[in-house]
Amino acid sequence: MSILSVKNLEKRFGDNVILKNVSADIEKGEVISIIGPSGTGKSTFLRAMNFLDPPTDGEVFFDGRLITKKNVDAVRRRMGMVFQNFGLFSHMNVMDNLSAGPVKLLGVSKSEAEEKSAELLRTVGLYERARFMPRQLSGGQKQRVAIARCLAMSPEVILFDEPTSALDPTMVSEVMAVMRNLAKSGMTMLVVTHEMDFARDVSSRVFYMDEGGIYEQGNPEIIFNNPQRQKTQAFIYNIRSYNYEVESRDFDYAEMLSGVENFCFRHAIGKRDANRLQLITEELIINIVTPQYGACSLAVHFSEKQETCNISVSYKGESGNALDGAADDLSVSMVKNSAKEIRHQYADGINTLTAVL
Amino acid sequence: MTINKVQKNGKLILDIEGRLDTATAPQLQGVLIPAFDDCKEIALDFAELVYVSSAGLRVLLMGQKQAKKTDGTMTLQNVSDEVMEVLEMTGFTDMLTIEQQRNFL
Repeated sequence: MSILSVKNLEKRFGDNVILKNVSADIEKGEVISIIGPSGTGKSTFLRAMNFLDPPTDGEVFFDGRLITKKNVDAVRRRMGMVFQNFGLFSHMNVMDNLSAGPVKLLGVSKSEAEEKSAELLRTVGLYERARFMPRQLSGGQKQRVAIARCLAMSPEVILFDEPTSALDPTMVSEVMAVMRNLAKSGMTMLVVTHEMDFARDVSSRVFYMDEGGIYEQGNPEIIFNNPQRQKTQAFIYNIRSYNYEVESRDFDYAEMLSGVENFCFRHAIGKRDANRLQLITEELIINIVTPQYGACSLAVHFSEKQETCNISVSYKGESGNALDGAADDLSVSMVKNSAKEIRHQYADGINTLTAVL
Repeated sequence: MTINKVQKNGKLILDIEGRLDTATAPQLQGVLIPAFDDCKEIALDFAELVYVSSAGLRVLLMGQKQAKKTDGTMTLQNVSDEVMEVLEMTGFTDMLTIEQQRNFL
């Protein structure tokens, strides 16, 4: 029997239908990443499951039992939730944040609860902070405390609602590390996330949400490398691309550069390749294409499977390879020497030069 | 990009840090070319330069020409690996004077 079953779930806010006819079965030990564009009901789906936002229609079963408003408190003790903004009790120190639930709701003695809390704080690397108040912790530390607090209730399932979205980029990895360990330990987890590395490496299944429901689901290999449906394909393609429109020769070079740098950082592209990528982009756009054709668009695309990076510059006009017409030999040779391969294509009045790194 | 000027034994050393590209090349040009009016021997220290594009290379060529015109010299020193790759790729290693051992001040 599935630990969690959702049947024909629907959620409306007034006339606004957020989720319609969503069904899913989640087995014990599964780690499910829920991904998709903003506003497609990912968090609403999670919150409907534990009745923080009760569904307008449909049923949710936990361990075979229908969840109702009457029994939801009992269910929540077995199904924890970690929030984007931590949700710690600000007037209690770290230790009390962890122990309060077991003492008040599970009837555990204070000393027993504190013993277990200490152990949990060690596993998330924060035992030394046990007597600190939440305001004395960094965002990443707060979220690790929130996860430990959730674990203090010995839940069977944990729902994570964008657990790293409110964090500084430097703190994301410490929280992700705790979640990876938790997944390894066999915990059943549903994670709404923008961390695609986590979704790809850790989850057993990925739900891609769009159009008010689970638009496509499958193992990470399918969703990330071979998505079947059109919107999933577009979403996956986009998270691996950087696009920039150059409207004239006076465009904002610094903005484009920081976009390209960010892209390299996000995909962990090495220093040498990142430099070549930036060099090809700068020479192609500034010295080769815009002097001849004016406006153009840049698309940088990273393919993990082939370990290649493609830099495409598209421009309108008659069919012509901008590298042949360029007045600037130095720039042309830099592009040719930095790329493994360069292709020119012409279709529907648009030229595309693609450099493969 | 930042440029630090250091005078040493009648020689001017320009420490260049950051990126030498379309956006920053004019800044180096503005410092380098007039510098030959006061000093015959100029060294560009590229230890902290992480990126150079054709815009930067053009300024180096202009510097080289200015050096000749004023009977001076222009030397690159401590060139980082990233920048050296571009200099090699474009044949600039044959055109410019490059000294790779570190000069301790």
